[in-house]
Order: sequence, then C-alpha cells, then structure tokens
Amino acid sequence: MRRAYRIIAFIIAAEVVIQAAAIAWMISGLGRWVQEGGVLDKATMEEEGGPLPFPELVGIIVHGMNGQFLIPLFALALLVIAFFARVPKGVTIAAILFGLVVVQVLLGLAAHGVGMPALGLIHGANALLIFSTALLAAHRARAVRPVAEHSAVTDAHG
Amino acid sequence: MPTVKRLRLVAVAIGLILLLGTVGWMWQDSLVHGEHSVTDMGRPDLGGGRPTTDHDNEHDHEHGLSIAELQDSETGAADVEVLLVARSERIRLDSGRDMQALTLNGETPGPVIRAEVGQMIEVELRNASVTDGTTIHWHGVEVPNAMDGVAGVTQDAVAVGESFIYRFRPQRAGTYWYHSHQHSHEQVPLGLVGALVVEPPGGLDPAVKDVVALVHSYGGTRTINGRTGEVPIDAAPGDRVRVRVINTANGPMSAWVSGVPFRLLAIDASELNAPSLVSDRQVQVAAGGRADVDLVVPDSGARIDLGGPSLVLGSAPPAEPRPELYLDPLSYGEPAPIDFDTARPDRRFEYTIGRRPGFVRGMPGMWWTINGRHYPKTPMFMVSEGEVVHVAFASRNDVHPMHLHGHRMLVLARNGVRATGSPWWVDSLNLAPGEDYEVAFRADNPGAWMFHCHHLGHAADGLVAHLMYEGLTVPYLIGDGNEPE
Repeated sequence: MRRAYRIIAFIIAAEVVIQAAAIAWMISGLGRWVQEGGVLDKATMEEEGGPLPFPELVGIIVHGMNGQFLIPLFALALLVIAFFARVPKGVTIAAILFGLVVVQVLLGLAAHGVGMPALGLIHGANALLIFSTALLAAHRARAVRPVAEHSAVTDAHG
Repeated sequence: MPTVKRLRLVAVAIGLILLLGTVGWMWQDSLVHGEHSVTDMGRPDLGGGRPTTDHDNEHDHEHGLSIAELQDSETGAADVEVLLVARSERIRLDSGRDMQALTLNGETPGPVIRAEVGQMIEVELRNASVTDGTTIHWHGVEVPNAMDGVAGVTQDAVAVGESFIYRFRPQRAGTYWYHSHQHSHEQVPLGLVGALVVEPPGGLDPAVKDVVALVHSYGGTRTINGRTGEVPIDAAPGDRVRVRVINTANGPMSAWVSGVPFRLLAIDASELNAPSLVSDRQVQVAAGGRADVDLVVPDSGARIDLGGPSLVLGSAPPAEPRPELYLDPLSYGEPAPIDFDTARPDRRFEYTIGRRPGFVRGMPGMWWTINGRHYPKTPMFMVSEGEVVHVAFASRNDVHPMHLHGHRMLVLARNGVRATGSPWWVDSLNLAPGEDYEVAFRADNPGAWMFHCHHLGHAADGLVAHLMYEGLTVPYLIGDGNEPE
C-alpha cells in the first residue's frame, strides 16, 4: 500500500508537468495560427465537430480532460489508499493534496472564458503547490526505517 | 488498539460505499434508455397556466392529433422546387486544405434557395451517402411542425438511399438558413448548411443589390459563402446593397462596416422599424442569427468585416479596426404596435442556464443545467394554441444562443431595462453570462418544438428543452437512428 501511495503521488506530480507542458504547447500553436491569419473570437472558440484549426489545440483538450477527470481521480485514490498505507502524516498530506486539486479545478473553470481571468494567476501558482505536495507525499512514502521505528516506540509507550 | 483500527476500517468502508452508492445512483439516473418519445422527456412546466389535458394522464400519447398531420394538405405543383442531394465526400476548401465534409449537391454551403412570401417551396432531400442519416431544419421559418426537420421529434432521419420531401409556404420575408438537425453538432460544422431568402410578394426591389453572406467556419477557417479572405462583391459606387449576414457558428460573431455609415434593416428575418444610419458600431450576430445590413457604396468603396474574411464592395478601402461599441437593438429604431398583448401573458416560464458537476447520459462532467436540472430532466414547456407566453432567460456561466423553433420571440427587456426601440424579434437570442432577457411570443403554431441552445455542442451535452402544445402526439422516437443534437 505504501508503494501504491508512493507511485500515485509520483503520477500526480508527473501529471502537473504534463498539464503545464500541454497548455504552453497550445498557447504556442495558437500564437503561430494567429500570426498566419487565424482569427480567434467567441465563434471560433466554440467551434466543434470539424478538423482542428491547428494541431496544438490538442493541448487544451489534454489539459481539460487531465485536469477535470484524471488528476482528481488520482488525488481521490491517493486519499483512499492513505488510510491503509501507514505513511507518516500520509492521510493529512493526501487530504491537503486532494483539497488543492479541487481548488485547482474550480480555479481553472472560474478563470477561463468569461469568469475572472485573475484567478488564472492563482491557478498557475497553485499548480506548483500541487506539484511539491505530491513530491512531498512520495518522499514520505519511502521505505525508511527510522520513522517506522519511532512510531513503534511511541506505540509501545502509549 | 485492534478494535480502533477495525472501527476505522469499517468507517472508511462505509464512507466509500455511501460515496460509490450515491455516485452510482446519480449515474444510473442520468441514463436515457433506448428509444424514447420527446413527450416522455423532461418535466412538464405549466408556467402558471391552466393544466393541459394530456399531462393529467402522462402516458396517454395515443390520443390526440399526431404532429405528422401538421402540414399543408394541398398537393399541387410547388412554386419553387429544389432537389438537395446530401453526400459525405472529400472537398478542397478555398484555403487549399482538404477536408472530409458533408455537401449538398456537391457543394458546401448548399445552394441559396429563394422564394417569395406565400409561395409553396418544395425541397426534396435525398441522402446519397451521409451514413448517420440526415434532415433539413428551416432555421427561423415558422413552418408547419411536420416540416421542421428535427430527427426523432418531427420526422425520422433520412437514411442513405432514402429521401424526404419538405413543403411549406413561408409567411414572412427575410433571411433564413437551413441545416441538418440530425447529429447537428457534427453535421453542421462539416458543412450541411445553406441560405434561404424569402422575398416580399412580387420579388425584390431591382434597385437594391441583394447579397447573401453565409459565414461558416471549416476547421477554424472562417468563410463567406465558402470563400476566405477578401471576397469581392460586384458593386459600383452609388449602388444600394443589402447584405444578409448569416452566422452558422456556435458562438456570436461581429460584423462591422468600414468606409460608409449603414443601416441595420433586419434581425433574424424580422424587419426593424425606422432603422437609423449608424457608424462606429459593430453588429453582434448571435450563433444561428442573421443581420441584414443596408448601405450605399461610396466612391472609395466599402467593406464589411465578418471576423476574419470580409466583403469588399467596389474598390477596397482599408480595414478599420472593430468598433468598441455595439449597436444595441434594445434602443435602435422606433417602436411600432405589436399584434398581441404582451402585458398579460397566459404563461410565464423561466429558462435559467447554469452548470454543475454530475452525470449526463452516464458521463461524469461539469454539465449545463436548465432551471437547476440536468438533461434529461430539463423542462417541457406546455402551452395551448393562442396563448401569450413570457420567457425569462438567464445565463450564469457562458454565452448561450437561445433558439426557439417554429416561432419568433419579441424582446421585452434586458437586465430589467425595457426595450425602447423598434420591435426586436428574434429566433436566436445571444444570452451572455450574467445577462437576463424577458421575451414574449404568441403560441400560434401547434406542434412539438425544440427550444434549445444553438451552441450545438451545448445542445448535444443536454442544453435542450421543448415547447409542447396540448393534445398532440409525437409518432417519432429519439435514439436508435434519431439523434437530433
């Protein structure tokens, strides 16, 4: 279980990297498309059903699916596993991570489109918090003895 | 210690079961099973009016008039006859790109259909190779219900090798368009669209040049009548030109005129009363909406920008940047009498669009809601013929172009500000987030009518409701071949 906890924590960290890369890739593609005469307005933004205007648009699809479905699922899985993984402060860290992910999704949805674009600033910064918390969780779940012995001693005294 | 641990395990297990159970129930509840009639969908909303007969007994659909009967019974020769052959084929776009598209008579957009008010139009739709089947919906035209072209609601989708004949007499001159209403969120972007112009009795004024500008985007490339870039119009200085802008997209677009002041003659095929000359204003054309612009070409030429491509009339003047201010139809033109009493509606409906997490058709996501409920528990607005109906629209999160089939709606107020200009009739109303609109219409065209967001992707995600007249039955089924959105 500790191993599963560690792997999922790493996956979440990697997912944050994918999120950042995908959205930057999309913005770059959008820039070139506009340079070449593409016009982005509400009608273009809402286009569906035909071929993609530019291939990098896949980046925002990846970002949306990953961010709204996969990462929350991983964060939830980590929280569930935390109850059985016996990682020091594992439940607390997983709960914080899950909370950060929920906040991140809400920020993302509220920031884009017609919401409050300024929330995008927090969305970007919060991504780094998620990344580091996921790494911290993975770090905590290393198979280290001293911490385990310490808790065994406390248990014996209690 | 072991007991504490076991208790903790049990608590976690119970929590998980409760969570999964709730989520599972919500998932199961969102499924739409097999084939179903549009009359079984949704939650009947009486809008404070008297109960309609058929919903006292909800499943009594066998009695009453079938909507298939709601069509012109005469069978004589039509005044305007058109054959539309729908195909799936590879086309070369004006931009040089190739695309697997859907065409009508080998082209997209399809042919411009022109008829005079009161003439019988007969269109035979033949499906040569559109594998999902297809239909033609006459956007904005108050056709008899059986001619509305919505798969699973007013007809069955036309399968490959089959055909369907549409016959109707348009009652109002103006700019309309037609498009598929089968898998519409895919078939419309792929090209199953075209323009319909209804001319006044006796035809158009020969002194005015009539130009259709159907704006459609193929894979991110915006076109006017299929052409990109600067599209030249054969017009000389001094010519009066009426440009009929049609927006087939899922979102609003801007039209603005460079080089000369203009008049906005009509919105959604309804003439505006006493439109004044304007300049330095952009005209917003709602998704699915139309705007007719009138101008006289100056010596230096004129240009109409349509969000990418532009129409050039005469010599090409430089493109001016888009004006910041919008022409506001709420106060444009002069008031005129309305032929029904908008102050005393028989029914008042609320149409509030929100968004929240949940399941639609078994898929988790952030889905649209109408009056707080996800599809398929969206409202069915019940009316009786002759009633005056009020609808209060509100959007919380996004732009929603609200489209009512078979009727036109009169805008009464926006954000509490009453309309003071020309009567502003719409069939496609751009509802921006945070905005609310109050509209009224007369229920004068019996049938089962879609009343939905014309962002066809939103519609496919469940932003769909219906206007249902009492005492009617619907012989068609959604599902298994019929997928209107």
